[in-house]
Amino acid sequence: MHYIEVKDLSFYYDEEPVLKNISFTVDPGEFVMLTGENGAAKSTLLRNILGLLTPNKGTASISLVNERNEKLAIGYIPQQVASFNAGFPSTVLELVRSGRYQRGKWFKKLDEEDKEHVERALKSVGMWDMRHKKIGELSGGQKQRISLARIFATDPDLFVLDEPTTGMDLESRQEFYELLKHNSKVHGKGILMVTHDHEDIKQYADRHIQLVRKEDSPWRCFSMDSCKEPSKLHS
Amino acid sequence: MEMFFYGFMQRAFQASFLIAVIAPILGLFLILRRQSLMADTLSHISLAGIALGLLLNVNPTFMTLVVVVIAAVSIDYIRMLYKSYSEISIAILMSAGMAIALVLMSLNEGGTNTSIQQYLFGSIVTINFAQVRLLLFLFVLVVGLFLVFRKPMYVLTFDEDTAYTAGLPVKFMSIIFNVITGITIAVIMPIVGALLVSAIIILPAAIAMRLSKSFNLVILVGIIIGLIGMFTGLTASYQFGTPPGATITLVFIVIFIITTILKKLVNQLKYKKRRRV
Repeated sequence: MHYIEVKDLSFYYDEEPVLKNISFTVDPGEFVMLTGENGAAKSTLLRNILGLLTPNKGTASISLVNERNEKLAIGYIPQQVASFNAGFPSTVLELVRSGRYQRGKWFKKLDEEDKEHVERALKSVGMWDMRHKKIGELSGGQKQRISLARIFATDPDLFVLDEPTTGMDLESRQEFYELLKHNSKVHGKGILMVTHDHEDIKQYADRHIQLVRKEDSPWRCFSMDSCKEPSKLHS
Repeated sequence: MEMFFYGFMQRAFQASFLIAVIAPILGLFLILRRQSLMADTLSHISLAGIALGLLLNVNPTFMTLVVVVIAAVSIDYIRMLYKSYSEISIAILMSAGMAIALVLMSLNEGGTNTSIQQYLFGSIVTINFAQVRLLLFLFVLVVGLFLVFRKPMYVLTFDEDTAYTAGLPVKFMSIIFNVITGITIAVIMPIVGALLVSAIIILPAAIAMRLSKSFNLVILVGIIIGLIGMFTGLTASYQFGTPPGATITLVFIVIFIITTILKKLVNQLKYKKRRRV
């Protein structure tokens, strides 16, 4: 089964093509990185996959169920999610706990298991001691960390991450990639991550999809370079 | 204490209590969705509903409800057209509402000015029992919906894209929220007046946001501030013979100034303490 399946996708902004003939899949247990120069419509591609935008041609779909035939949970970090309004009245703990709601807890109280997930997620990004802080009082890097903690608290089947490590130092980034790799290899999670960090990440990812502008393509129109397998990545 | 012997003051205090609880709940979500001026917009549009009701000889409150619900749905549609600048939808509909109201009023010359003025400025002390009952219904609706949908609304107001990928019916929730806000405005407006309805809905939540760290606490603090402001304003209005809506709003403004100064002082003290350590 595929968690993500993109078939011959093209997308236009006001008649201007920005993505052309994109096809790939992301399977359970697979860690795929998506790269491309600035303005290569990487975020646009993610938004098409998630259903936030509609492709003009082709299809992008996400499986409705996971490998255990349960409803598939998606963990999405949009680009610059950490630039959220400084005045948003919420503590770190409240925000990270909200990651558990989509696990069937919209109308139920969080139980001990949920609280354990939240604690583990906050500790994994080193933010447990800051849990009672107002999110608006955090630095950019700390906000990024709690966004990641929220995703880990959700414990999704599929991670869709748009430059999630912006503002993080090298050591924290590597810890985060290690955590993602562990999630894909040990827990069978599917991961699609947009990054500019492909040199650092190539030892963790299984596949590399690069959006490139081909010579015969119009300006601003990107298509896929061939998928690079791990052997190619590591060479 | 003598004021409590008057039936009209008893009803005014009952209405104040109900409004003080409803207002910060809606106000907080409006602020977080960058729609603080929506209450103002819908109250302007309500005037168009009233003018239309008076022109067609249909119950103005019923006509206002219809017009405001249509406007509330339109706001969400225009908001989607200008996703990053959601206040544009407010500006467009506010001017449209006022323009329609003025044109309709001019078409119905003779006899409507008093009614329109009554809706523009309102008066909580002239509230009748039926209005209190309507407010009580609204109170049960808003508080009930808040208690049930608190978590989905938290995620929706934090980030709509994240809410969508988490499986929430974002568009439907937005429309329902706007419709309930519209109904609230239509019910509250004749009581506090079109000019002040926005202040009464937004100010308690705005003050509470500066005072509280957590989401749930903001609602609670907002309700306490709402109760203090409404009761103090009403009492002052009775004592000094000033218009109730304007007096209540002024009390909220005074609370805003005092809490802002106090917060600044506390922050400075904390900063000095930290530096000493």
